[in-house]
Amino acid sequence: MEVKIENTNAETMVKMIGRLDSMNSVEVEKAVAPVMESDMKNVIIDCSEFDYISSSGLRIFLTMLKEAKKKGGKLSIRNMKAEIKSVFDITGFTPLFIFE
Amino acid sequence: MIKIEHLSKNFGDLVVLKGINIEIHNGEVISIIGPSGTGKSTFLRCINLLETPSSGVIKINGENILSPKTKVNDLRQKMGMVFQNFNLFEHLTVLENLTIGPIKLLGKKKEEAQNKGRELLQMVGLAAKENSYPEELSGGQKQRVAIARCLSMEPEIILFDEPTSSLDPTMVSEVLGVIRRLAQEGMTMVIVTHEMSFARDVSSRIIYMDDGIIYEEGTPEEIFDHPKKDKTRTFIQRIRNFQYKIENKDYDFYGMNNAITTFCEKHFFKAQQIQSILLVVEESLQLYFDKDNIIQRNEIIKSGGGINLSIDYSEKDGQIVVSFVTTNDLPSIIKGAESSDGISMAIISGMTESVEEDEIDGRLRLIMIMHLI
Repeated sequence: MEVKIENTNAETMVKMIGRLDSMNSVEVEKAVAPVMESDMKNVIIDCSEFDYISSSGLRIFLTMLKEAKKKGGKLSIRNMKAEIKSVFDITGFTPLFIFE
Repeated sequence: MIKIEHLSKNFGDLVVLKGINIEIHNGEVISIIGPSGTGKSTFLRCINLLETPSSGVIKINGENILSPKTKVNDLRQKMGMVFQNFNLFEHLTVLENLTIGPIKLLGKKKEEAQNKGRELLQMVGLAAKENSYPEELSGGQKQRVAIARCLSMEPEIILFDEPTSSLDPTMVSEVLGVIRRLAQEGMTMVIVTHEMSFARDVSSRIIYMDDGIIYEEGTPEEIFDHPKKDKTRTFIQRIRNFQYKIENKDYDFYGMNNAITTFCEKHFFKAQQIQSILLVVEESLQLYFDKDNIIQRNEIIKSGGGINLSIDYSEKDGQIVVSFVTTNDLPSIIKGAESSDGISMAIISGMTESVEEDEIDGRLRLIMIMHLI
């Protein structure tokens, strides 16, 4: 699992690459910590190369969303594959997020 | 076509085949299944005399091929063989691999052999690779070339010795697809295989070998759905059942996932179906090793003999049963989930048709039923 973060003036792009499961979720949490500490004005999570998510990963997404909302920012999800999106659907997470 | 009587093979004191009797008729597709080391490959190699039988009779169209008068090369031309490790000529191109036999052994002209070779490469989907060398091909492509090469000798029967066992799982289906097509075209084939779904689909007869004998034989339905004998039943049950022991919280998560994936790929589950099973297993284990009580839970699980994960697959109705059995000193997993944030149970419920818990022989069992669509 790899997390790439790119900051531009307009947005913060968080690219998730690989499989996010209960074994590597702590690492991913650490990797996204700088984003959570930022103003989170416009955070986009790019999921084009994201292949698997379990509850541990969903909790990270949810924490990021809450943090963005708390700061009056915006968090959206881009290019999520249908099979990953189905995990958001069955857990009722889909309406909480903006999917691009 | 082929009649085998009392075929035996010893390697020194080791008796590998113990008096095999079988008839193979024209157009039959016979799959030989059974545990490793029970003589399946040796049997196949005896049929075309790659191994010399210790005793018995093998008659092809009435002629006893074990007679000293038999011309072994003539016999091998009638009988093609596809090996686990392809056995291609590495220094020849793909097309040359297909033409060398017909030119040298069948006396065909080069052009005729090349035309036939190209036709066969087209048939196995490798027309574009005729000038490639084997080392430039993937395992699946090499095996398809090996099948085409075998066909170039115009055999009356093809023997397949575990044709997919050295292939990456992603390449198995392309090879099985070619064999399937040959079966549809009426080619007589004997296939030693561990691919049970394939054997079931493609075969007219299944032979279950165990301990050097044909222990049971019948139609795919008879052997896979209603095996009569104990060893066959145990074997059939085992191939559809995956088991994994989780000793404690430091279990090998990725090792377990790889083993589940391999089991699922053997049964041709789709990628998304495999992901669903992996998710259900991961989320269940999240509930077992509840983060808020992990030290206590770990101690109970460890001292209670761990958690036994079992995945059972029924080919008949596509049902998958995932179950976990552990000590009943643990509290109910389903009830415990109610006091969690609910995400793990929401995933499990969304991926399965039912989630139940019961006690079996004093142990707590969590059973989840899924269906392959």
